[in-house]
Parts: sequence; C-alpha cells; structure tokens
Amino acid sequence: MSKILVCYKWVLDEQDIRVNAADASLDLSRAKYKISDYDKNAIEEAVLLQEGQGATVDAVTFGGDAVRQSLKDLLSRGPDKVYYIADPAADKADGYVTAGVLAVAARKTGPYDLIICGEGSADAYNQQVAPRLAASLGLPAITYVQSLKLEDGRVVATRKLGDCTEVVTVEGPAVVSVVPEINKPRIPSLKQVLAAAKKPSEEIKIADLGLSPRQLAAKTVTLTVKGFVMNRKNVLFKEPAQADNVAKLAAALAKEGVC
Amino acid sequence: MPGILIFSENNAIALELVTAGLGLKATMNHSLCAVALSEADATALAAAGADKVVLLTGQDWPEGCAQPIAELAARELAAVILIGGTARGKDIAAKVANELDAGLVTEAQTIEIAEDKLQTTRLKYGGLAVACEATVLPAVVTIAPRTFDKAVAGGGQGQITSLAATGGDPRVKVSELCPIERQGVDIAAAARIVCVGRGLAKKEDLTLAEDLAKALSAEIGCTRGIAEDYHWLPVERYIGISGQNIKAELYLSLGVSGQVQHVAGIRDAKVIVAVDTNEKAPIFAAADYGIVGDLYEVAPLITAALKK
Ligand SMILES: Cc1cc2nc3c(=O)[nH]c(=O)nc-3n(C[C@H](O)[C@H](O)[C@H](O)COP(=O)(O)OP(=O)(O)OC[C@H]3O[C@@H](n4cnc5c(N)ncnc54)[C@H](O)[C@@H]3O)c2cc1C
Repeated sequence: MSKILVCYKWVLDEQDIRVNAADASLDLSRAKYKISDYDKNAIEEAVLLQEGQGATVDAVTFGGDAVRQSLKDLLSRGPDKVYYIADPAADKADGYVTAGVLAVAARKTGPYDLIICGEGSADAYNQQVAPRLAASLGLPAITYVQSLKLEDGRVVATRKLGDCTEVVTVEGPAVVSVVPEINKPRIPSLKQVLAAAKKPSEEIKIADLGLSPRQLAAKTVTLTVKGFVMNRKNVLFKEPAQADNVAKLAAALAKEGVC
Repeated sequence: MPGILIFSENNAIALELVTAGLGLKATMNHSLCAVALSEADATALAAAGADKVVLLTGQDWPEGCAQPIAELAARELAAVILIGGTARGKDIAAKVANELDAGLVTEAQTIEIAEDKLQTTRLKYGGLAVACEATVLPAVVTIAPRTFDKAVAGGGQGQITSLAATGGDPRVKVSELCPIERQGVDIAAAARIVCVGRGLAKKEDLTLAEDLAKALSAEIGCTRGIAEDYHWLPVERYIGISGQNIKAELYLSLGVSGQVQHVAGIRDAKVIVAVDTNEKAPIFAAADYGIVGDLYEVAPLITAALKK
C-alpha cells in the first residue's frame, strides 16, 4: 500500500487582519489561525488517493506553538496520523529553513511514495517549499499540479503552467505541489470530526532533527511589514429609490471623465 | 569578479530581467551574465546589455536546467540570481537556491543592495501587506512578468558562449505539452471592466453584466469563484492576486464582496464602483462610489442611464 505524506502550514487568517489607517501597521490581535487554503487542496488530494486506491496518509507541519491547535482540524480532514514540529524558530523561518526541517522530518517518518504540498502558503506565498524539499530529499519535483495519479509505483501528474499544460511521469517517489483547481476540499463531517479524536499525533522536537544552527538560520529576514491603505473616495449613494442613486452615480462618473 | 546572473525560459521576461540586472549592476559594479536557451534569445540578450551570455544546449525541459544554472552561478560566483517569475521559473529558482544553499525571494517588486544584503519588497497575506526583507548573498530572486520594462537592444557587445547541459533526471518523463487556448481578451490591459462576483445567481444572468459592459464599452471580468469553481467565465478573466492585475480607468463590480485577494488586483484602477446588497462588504471600503442594492435591480438601471 502506498504511503503518502502531506505537508501543511497553520497560518493567520488574512480576513481577520486589520490595517491601522494611521501608520499602515497590521493589527493581528483578532486574527485566528487556519490551515493554509492551498494546503487544504493538498490534504484533500492525499485523502482522495487514500479513498480511491488505499494508502496511508501522514501529515506533517512545522510552526510556532500555535500549531498544536491545528491537529484536530487536520485529522478530521482524513489523514491517519499527524507529526508536528512546534518551535518558536518557525516564526522566523523562511523557505530555506522550513524545507530543511520538513526534509529531515520526512526522512525520519518515511520513506514515502508521494509527498504533497500546496503550491504556496496563504500568508507568505513563497512557493518554494515543495521544490526545495524535493531537492533536499533527492527526489524529482512536480510543481503546479492540476491532476494527479499514482499507478504501480509511478506518479503521473498534469502541470498547469500559465500558457500550457504538460504531463510529467516520475518512476518512483516524487514531491508534488498542487494548485487549487485540483479538487474541492470537503468540509469535515461530524463523523470525521469525532474520528479525529482517536487518531494519533506525534511531536517531533526540533532538537532531535540534528540540524545545525546554520541550517536553522533564515537566509531572509523581514525588516518591515506595512499594510496597504486604499485611499478611495468611499462615497455611498443611499437614496431610497435606486433610480436616484444610479442618476447620482452617472453624474459622478461623468465628472470623473470616465463616462 | 562576482556577478549577477539572469534567466528566464521566456525571452520577453529575460529582457525585463536585463533591466533589473543593469539596475543592480550600477550599484554593485558586477558583470551581468544571462543564460539563454536559443541562439536568437542569446543574441537579443547580448544586444540588450548582458555582458556575457551562456547558451545552454541539450535540455528540452526548462526545469531540467536548474542544475546547470546552479553550477554556472557557483562558477561565476554570482551574488544575485534573477529568474523570471513564471511557474517554470519559480520551480527552477527554488532548486537553484537549494543547490547554492541560498535564500530565495519570490516575486520581488523592488530590488536593491543595502548593507551587503539584497533588500526586496513583496506582497504578503494575500496582498494585504507589503514586506520589506533582507536576504544574505548569494540570493536568488524571482520577478513577476511586467515588473520591469524590457531592455531595448542597444549597442551591446556581450560575448556569447555555449554550454552543454549534462544529465537530466532519468526518473522523469515529460509528455503531452499542450498550449492553453486564450480567448483573446487581455483583462490586464482593458480600459473599462464590469466585474461579476458570486452575487450573480446563475450563469444565464451574465447577460445583465454583458448589457452593462456593452453600454460602457467594457470587458467582463470576474472573481476567482466564478471562473475556477463555477466555470462561467474563462480563468484569464478573473482578477486578483492569483489572477489578473488590472489598470483600468473604470472598474465596476456587481455582487463582489471584495476580499483582499481580489482587491489586490484592482488597486491600480482609476475609479472603482461597487454594487452589492451587503453594506458591510469590504468592497465598499475599496471603492470610490458605491450603491447598496440588488444587482438585479441596479445593473439594468445603470445600463439604461448610460444609454441615454
Ligand atoms: C489564497 C487565496 C487566493 C485567492 N485569490 C483570489 C483572486 O486572485 N481573485 C479573487 O477574486 N479571489 C481570490 N480568492 C478568493 C477570495 O478570498 C474571495 O473568496 C473571492 O474573491 C470572493 O468572490 P466573490 O466576491 O465573487 O464572492 P463572495 O465573497 O461570496 O461575495 C458575493 C457578494 O455578492 C453579494 N450579493 C449577493 N447577492 C447579491 C445581489 N443580488 N445583488 C448584489 N450583491 C449581491 C454578497 O453580499 C457578497 O458581498 C483567493 C482566496 C485565497 C484563500
């Protein structure tokens, strides 16, 4: 039976982030976490393979302490087991560090026939963990996958590349990154949520991965983060009759010179 | 002497990277080396100002060039490696960065050298914010198409050498390369856009938006769900961080909530108009003019008003 690993990131939900208009700083205080949207597609794809042809699905995540909150949500989406590396080092990690940590973890818990990642994360969208992970593990990478099959120890994937598609076949294991069109992640059923409580989760300590301080030091550091402030007129036409609002809009557009 | 290395499998983008690379060259005083996959591309890059062009032969799959590009970068002691931010380019960039044990900045909007590091800006949180970051050298950077203007052919005399790419991964087979048919509209360049969102109840109701678009001489754009989930419109018409960036003089939305990933694609529009039933929809905060109301009532009224 095939063994699949799916990687996911526990990210702040950008819909809850507010931009302070005064200084463009970000107010994260009300932001909750979620499984990164693209990774929901990765998880769903692993689970579809599990259902379709029988496979065991492990999941792995590297994040700050908050990552512990993600385990139940993750397991209710179908994977059999989750490994997590919860360490403050994750808060400053870039793609280099993250892929390095995941590669060593995957060596420890593997080997796998297939490793699936989202194409990027919803927060930083660096789009580099899957191909870096592949390179670190000495496996072929198939990025931007829109349909995926596992057949007789072969990975067959169709990639979506902006102006074309192509089919890539890999003999043996591969690391793939998937695009959102590949599937529609389901909302976990009550049964799945209940089943999640009985599934195993296992912490991997970062210290046990044997990474050097150099491998844990990000190559990229963040200097500043500033929210976008939209400077728009924000005029709302609020007459009781829509015909009056439309007349006002038409007048405004004429004045702007766009109609 | 350490250098700046540029590569894109798409030569129009490679010429944009020449502009970015020449900008860095002015401060870094390093030579600019370009990698090309065809002789014509190599000649164009040399003419546009690359000091040196390496013509890479023997590799049909651009992704297979990651290893030879990494080796070349190491040999050239490249301090900054700029790669065109296509899907293929981002794949290659990650592998090159991994091989060089280097950092990789994805889709940088600006690049400069400050305090011996590469300083870049890029979007974060679905376009909600801009992060300024510093990366140790050597650094790999991908740059989205159209971020820089194309370098024009000047009297560049760059020397062209050729290099046979070895290897290729015997485990990997690529087949069925198939161009995606475009339907000819370029939303990114449209002057006026009527954008439909999930406020539209069914596909047939697109006629409502089409009538309005006709009255405005506008193109129809949409949100991601309309294209990717419902397939009511082709994907090249959806606007946002994962779709098109528009620069229209007028953007008018019907039933679009205005989540940040969508709004990230309309920031450069001159005038933004929104029609939505929900007064609290974020689109109104991003709009110049708004009407709170049912698009089924309001859109035909706007169409009629414009026809007068
Ligand atoms: C990682 C990521 C990337 C994304 N990238 C993009 C992207 O590039 N582009 C993009 O568009 N989205 C993108 N999205 C999705 C985005 O977050 C929103 O979900 C999407 O833009 C919402 O589309 P919508 O406004 O059509 O639908 P909804 O959010 O469902 O909004 C529908 C709106 O219609 C209104 N409405 C309903 N009925 C009527 C009526 N009769 N008359 C008037 N108004 C009505 C409602 O009040 C509501 O405001 C991305 C999401 C993620 C997580």
